[in-house]
Amino acid sequence: MRKFVLLLMTAIILTMASAAFAASYPSKNFECIAPAGPGGGWDTTMRMVAKVLTEQKLVTTAMPVVNKPGGGGGVALTYMQRKKGDPYELIVFSPPLILINLTGQSKLGYKDITPISMLINDFGAFAVPKNSKYKSLNEVFEAIKKDPKSVKIGGTSSLGSMDHVQFLVAAKAAGVTDLKGIQYIAFQGGEGLAAIMGAHIDLLSTGMAELVGPKESGDVKILALTSPKRIPSGPLADVPTLYEIGINAEYINWRGIFGAPGMPEAERKFMEDALKKMTETADWKEICERNGWTQVYLNAAEFKSFLDKSNEETKSLLAEIGMLQN
Amino acid sequence: MGEILTHLLNGFSVAMTPYNVLWLVLGAALGTVLGMLPGLGPTTGIALLLPLTFTMPATTALIAMASIYYGAMFGGSRSSILLNVPGDGAAVASCFDGYPMARNGRAEAALAISAIASFIGGLIATVAFVLIALPMARFALKFGPPEYFVLMIFALAATAAISKAALMKGLVAMIFGLMLTTVGLDYQSGTARFTFGISELQGGIDFVIVIIGIFGIGEVFENLEHIARDVAKPVQTKFGRIWITMEDWKRCFWPILRQTPLGFVIGILPGAGGTIAALMSYNNEKQLSKHPEEFGKGAIEGLAAPEAANNACSVGAMIPMLTLGVPGSGTTAIMLGALLILGLQPGPLLFEQHPDIAWGVIASMFLGNVVCAVINIPLAGLLVRVLSVPARILYPLIVAVAFLGVYTINFAAMDFVLLTILGFVGYLMKKFKVPTAPLILASVVGAMMEQSYRQSMMLSDGSFGIFFGSPICIVLWIFAIGSLAWPFISEARAEKKK
Repeated sequence: MRKFVLLLMTAIILTMASAAFAASYPSKNFECIAPAGPGGGWDTTMRMVAKVLTEQKLVTTAMPVVNKPGGGGGVALTYMQRKKGDPYELIVFSPPLILINLTGQSKLGYKDITPISMLINDFGAFAVPKNSKYKSLNEVFEAIKKDPKSVKIGGTSSLGSMDHVQFLVAAKAAGVTDLKGIQYIAFQGGEGLAAIMGAHIDLLSTGMAELVGPKESGDVKILALTSPKRIPSGPLADVPTLYEIGINAEYINWRGIFGAPGMPEAERKFMEDALKKMTETADWKEICERNGWTQVYLNAAEFKSFLDKSNEETKSLLAEIGMLQN
Repeated sequence: MGEILTHLLNGFSVAMTPYNVLWLVLGAALGTVLGMLPGLGPTTGIALLLPLTFTMPATTALIAMASIYYGAMFGGSRSSILLNVPGDGAAVASCFDGYPMARNGRAEAALAISAIASFIGGLIATVAFVLIALPMARFALKFGPPEYFVLMIFALAATAAISKAALMKGLVAMIFGLMLTTVGLDYQSGTARFTFGISELQGGIDFVIVIIGIFGIGEVFENLEHIARDVAKPVQTKFGRIWITMEDWKRCFWPILRQTPLGFVIGILPGAGGTIAALMSYNNEKQLSKHPEEFGKGAIEGLAAPEAANNACSVGAMIPMLTLGVPGSGTTAIMLGALLILGLQPGPLLFEQHPDIAWGVIASMFLGNVVCAVINIPLAGLLVRVLSVPARILYPLIVAVAFLGVYTINFAAMDFVLLTILGFVGYLMKKFKVPTAPLILASVVGAMMEQSYRQSMMLSDGSFGIFFGSPICIVLWIFAIGSLAWPFISEARAEKKK
């Protein structure tokens, strides 16, 4: 009996303590991590999220953003492991989180941090030079099926990263069997754009925002976007999705917020709610519009199952081209 | 022509509004200071300014960002000349002769000529921008992977030629530089090379760490040897006016005019950049010079040439970004991002749809150059006094600034280790009189040379014919062979004259 009372009391105290803790969360400043240098997509997203959360008083303590670049996000992932269970650590990530793990660039992956919410979607695009002989993406895939070497695909990131994988996703759905034979040439940033505008390569696979300028100047034709639905307005409204041209595929460049590994349940819930409320503010909507981001919201559970699914799909794709390491 | 003048005058009326001028001056001052601090450069400056630009009108935002960019080009050479620590990559060539000048008691002239050369280079490039921006940008698109590869060969060939005196040592330095660039994630295969499982190394060894290590820390190590002896003796205690003599001017006039176009063209090519422009123009000038033996020992034209070229380059780099929407460098990539957020899509249409913005920015480049020159000359009078600081105080300061600067690049303590190792390499190179220029140039062009070679090979399915497949390639090969042969030709000619 004494033992039982003791146990009960301990339980009560623990519950109260954790409730009290949850009620007082957040009581100190956060550390918001952008896993890349200043100015890029990850950095901008983290800064905007921190800005709206504090301005709208959804979080009452300060949320300074810290840049931890390196290893395509791997350095920041390693850092997060040292903050196990710390509810004051937040980090932004996108598909490379899955890719750097599967290609062996990092031992750590999405299972080593705690998903909180997915906030933004962005999509890829496939472009050809203005005088290209290819009138549609289907023609490109037909040519690849006949002779993979005859079509030179460029992308603005390394082999086995997003620009490469999004092309593979489309190629596979279009019935290309020799995925490994696809000639993918990696460029860095603007050099890829220059290569497609100068017709040095046959097709460029990259983010859709980068291609708006060259499309408007008439230097390139965008054959398809990887979005599930057509972009409703703006300069890309006339570009078909993969589905529309009979290719049953999509590729989402998602961005979401994660916590440290083992982030306590109550605090995770708090942040999840705060982010949900944030996405409903006019400020956030305006920021998304200005940056050309498609606004989405997935809660922690939905986000987690999205990541599981995406991980499995990417895994089988990378296995086919012989790049799967982990 | 008349149309261009009208546009330009309109541009000036946009750029001259007090609000825009205010940001122009602030940007130029901020850029100069950031440029001076090793490690911090225009990219960091513009990224810092980014949140502020969202509240500005688009023209002002673009003017502020552009003025940071060329402010940094002006400021970068200050620390090269005074401390032998390049403020940023583009200022590395300014160490070669700028620092010896300062050691020889000619710091005032060195600081003056670098500002003057930067000013003239920037000004001529801006005029060129007005006249030929769009055709030049179109021309740059003709450069594909094979053309880039041959261009890099040309750049390296010039270095091989300048280290003629110590050919073997020069080659060793060059190969070491090339080896440094193989560290990190390889783009074409997506695998990490020579990283030893350290994820901080996946991004490669940042070029700025190489130059700060080899020059700044190497210099400090070398001076440790005799710091005990002349401990109380500063380099210089009396300072003259920051200006140059007529003789200096005569020596620099043609080098500035010759190297400005080179810098401008390199700037327009996406991916090449200020560092390559400065190093190529330095090598080029050394070859053309009547007294190449003075280069590296404080030849004023050896400072004027790269300074003019790197400013012309920063103007040229704006061209593909503004006229095509193609960012050619990290700095212009961030500027492009900021413009998109402001709802502007750079490209040929920018000039049609928003002529006030496009031409306002061009006009601001003229003003920006003037403002930078005006800021830099009096500032130099203050900065030069750093030379009166005794070595025992100055060198610890250099070390502190170098470490701080390097930390701001990746925020990784790992880079301190690299910096120290490279500093030691720099020290050994000085001890054994190994030329540093080939190492520096190789470590700038190495990555691009390798990637463009492999891109070309994939494009041609393994045929070397691709490197001779276009007129641009052929011309670049002729340049490369010419610059290898030039020292021998000029020697033979000198023999004949005797």
